[in-house]
Amino acid sequence: MDKSKKRRLIYRIAALAVVLLIAAAMFVIGRGHTVYFDNKMPENVGTEVNVPYKIEVVVAGKSVAKLKSGERGMADTMGQNFNMQLLVTKEKGEDPTRLQVGLTLPYSMDGIIINLPALLSGLDESAYLSEFVYVPSAEEMKDEEVITDDTDNQMNFEG
Amino acid sequence: MKNKSIGDYLRRFSVPIMFVIICLICAPISGLSPNYLINEIVTRIGRNAFLILSLLIPIMAGMGLNFSMTLGAMAGEIGLILVSDWQIVGIPGMILAMIVSIPISALLGLFCGKVLNMAKGREMITSYIISFFINGIYQLVVLYLMGPVIPIAHSTIKLPRGYGIRNTVSLLSMRQRLDNLIPLNIMGVKIPVATFIVIFLLCLVIIWFRKTKLGQDMRAVGQDMEVSKDAGIDVERTRIISMILSTVFAGIGMIIYLQNMGNIATYSSHSQIGMFCIAALLVGGASVDKASIGNVFLGIILFHTMFIVAPKAGTVITGDSMIGEYFRVFVSYAVITIALIMYETNKRKNKSKAGMQLALAQEQEEANG
Amino acid sequence: MNEQKLTFTDLIKTKAQEFGLPRLIITGFLLLLLVLSPIVGADLPTQISNIINRFSWNGILVLAMVPMIHSGCGLNFGLPLGIISGLLGATLSIELGFQGPLSFIMAALLATPFALVFGSGYGWLLNKIKGGEMMIATYVGFSSVSMMCMMWLLLPYHSPNMVWGMAGKGLRTTISLEGYYTQALASFLQINIGNLSIPTGAILFFALLAFGMWAFLHTKTGTAMTAVGSNPDFARSAGINVDKIRMISVVMSTWLAAIGILVYEQGFGFVQLYMAPFYMALPAVSAILIGGATVNKATIMNVVVGTILFQGIVTMTPTVMNNLIHLDMSEVIRIIVSNGMILYALTRKTEGTR
Repeated sequence: MDKSKKRRLIYRIAALAVVLLIAAAMFVIGRGHTVYFDNKMPENVGTEVNVPYKIEVVVAGKSVAKLKSGERGMADTMGQNFNMQLLVTKEKGEDPTRLQVGLTLPYSMDGIIINLPALLSGLDESAYLSEFVYVPSAEEMKDEEVITDDTDNQMNFEG
Repeated sequence: MKNKSIGDYLRRFSVPIMFVIICLICAPISGLSPNYLINEIVTRIGRNAFLILSLLIPIMAGMGLNFSMTLGAMAGEIGLILVSDWQIVGIPGMILAMIVSIPISALLGLFCGKVLNMAKGREMITSYIISFFINGIYQLVVLYLMGPVIPIAHSTIKLPRGYGIRNTVSLLSMRQRLDNLIPLNIMGVKIPVATFIVIFLLCLVIIWFRKTKLGQDMRAVGQDMEVSKDAGIDVERTRIISMILSTVFAGIGMIIYLQNMGNIATYSSHSQIGMFCIAALLVGGASVDKASIGNVFLGIILFHTMFIVAPKAGTVITGDSMIGEYFRVFVSYAVITIALIMYETNKRKNKSKAGMQLALAQEQEEANG
Repeated sequence: MNEQKLTFTDLIKTKAQEFGLPRLIITGFLLLLLVLSPIVGADLPTQISNIINRFSWNGILVLAMVPMIHSGCGLNFGLPLGIISGLLGATLSIELGFQGPLSFIMAALLATPFALVFGSGYGWLLNKIKGGEMMIATYVGFSSVSMMCMMWLLLPYHSPNMVWGMAGKGLRTTISLEGYYTQALASFLQINIGNLSIPTGAILFFALLAFGMWAFLHTKTGTAMTAVGSNPDFARSAGINVDKIRMISVVMSTWLAAIGILVYEQGFGFVQLYMAPFYMALPAVSAILIGGATVNKATIMNVVVGTILFQGIVTMTPTVMNNLIHLDMSEVIRIIVSNGMILYALTRKTEGTR
């Protein structure tokens, strides 16, 4: 009797631990980031780097951005290990060179800017990686009236 | 004898038959292509089945239609709001939202079960009012506590005034991730395989649960509370467990529902969900005291065919799009009304039958003695 | 003798128990609001006239609960059915071209046959399903409201004041009563002292109906109704036709709801159609419960006290809260209080559980 109670308690604690572990794992692997790619001269690094004519960014087999000099592209990603292929065309008319790049993204940043020329020329992380700070538009910051009374919405069911 | 059984069948399935007729009339008039219709219905099975399955357990325990399944829906929404603020995306986000929602659902289910134990015999109206009451609490939490008490970081979710959640929260990062996890396309019909697998698993769990000791107890309680109490079943506890299970499943179901929709209407997504799920279940031929997994799927197919087809058909017939919209809402309410009336009249009939049998037995006893 | 040893605190305790803890809290809350309102800078006379005004709008809708509670049919969640009869009367009266206060009288007269017919059908149904009244009443209300949504579009109304201008058919969602019976009762013998204004006519009308109800409950049929409510088996053996009495109570309740919505409209100034009546039963139900009624017991006093308390909280909380903490939580408080009250009443153990 006592034994079975004890065993049940152990099972329960184990189950709870498993659930908490899964939750923790989800926090790690499920963290979403938005990565922005800049193909332009990095600011505040002191050194001049070469900005290629065109860079194509391929993430998970899909081309997400074709960036000419001075352009920005973006991709959504999950987790902190970020792998991409870069097809770099140095000058117009040249054949692109293929590069495989793997990065570790900082957990705390929602939006991350990667300066590709700085990355390509081998500068350190603080030079090519910076946080994208989201600035809500004026439209978004306008006061929004909350509608909690749903009698008028009885009909709008999209089952 | 045989004649009577056919009549009985007709009566039992009167609602599904009526719906088949409505659908058969309206579908050609609406002018929608069969391909579109099938696609829509398959999507809606994936979207709603889990939610509707959550209604089965309280029916088993004799607690009637669980109008307070909205409690679970609210818990699911809270889970999703938090997860999208934490920026956990995709399937992991869904799983985490479920894990967050489960303790909330369980607590709400416990509350609901305790209250319903104090209101035996009028569970349905009480669970209906509970859904309103908890909606008030939900609004208190989401509209006032989220921000200052429960940290919400992102301005896309939080209202500009600094507390409270916006009217809609986008779930773009999770939208149809489960549905598209295992892509399958048969003759132009997109099939959400992974969602169907999850639904199938819940069906298995329900079938298994019926055979467990607890499931058997629940059915006994549903049959007769007094008898089961005499047989040593803890009636109150069994009823509370059935409510907790139903609420937890409803919470998970709501997360599946919302990942398909792709956004949360923070203050209204949950409010109608109970009504429409119950109507769909009843359309499938279930009654207040008897419902099977088959009823769930038949119900979704018939109810949602009507839901898609009726407004279009109404527009074609009357030239006014609103007529069809009102018509389908009227039909949903009417179906629930009819089912409730049939349940109550049957209950009375059985009671008087039992009473007559008792009187007869007593008479015989007297004659014998 | 044990009873003589009862102390004063015990007396208070039993009194409080009779009054019920939730009611005590609500009364205390309202008193607190009243005390706070001058402190936070809200004008007390305006507040009080607001409460009196809202009382005069809603009183009869709450009164409509009484007959069905008395006959044991429980709380009338099917109130929208009666409200629809009233709306039919109101729209017909306008359609037929009546104006001014006369349109109110005509609306009431025209609503009556609908209320009688709908009420009888409703009563017949409730007699078939004794024991499950409240849930079915709720859904009868919902079905009838959604049914009428179609009807408002389809019925051949033509009055340009009511139909959509563009299509020339189908009623609008809100219809202004300007030129019809807006303030028809309230302006009768209205008293104005500074910021305080009392809609005497509307109050008198409520008093008249309330007195009528009180008098009815003391007639032979009225006492029979109470008997049916408290013990149907006993009433049946005493030779009372239970079904007939219940039917009368349902018809009365439906008719009062029809008149009640007309009085509400004359105060509010608009007729609201389509989904508006959908949830109108809930405030009325919780008001009478706040006033001290239970699922099977209600007095006129419960109606008066309950309506004042409920409307008091509904009108006072927004102003006081806004002035005090610049946070309008009144809507949430209203939802929690009113539904909490209904829950409280439903979970009380009552004899002859229905």
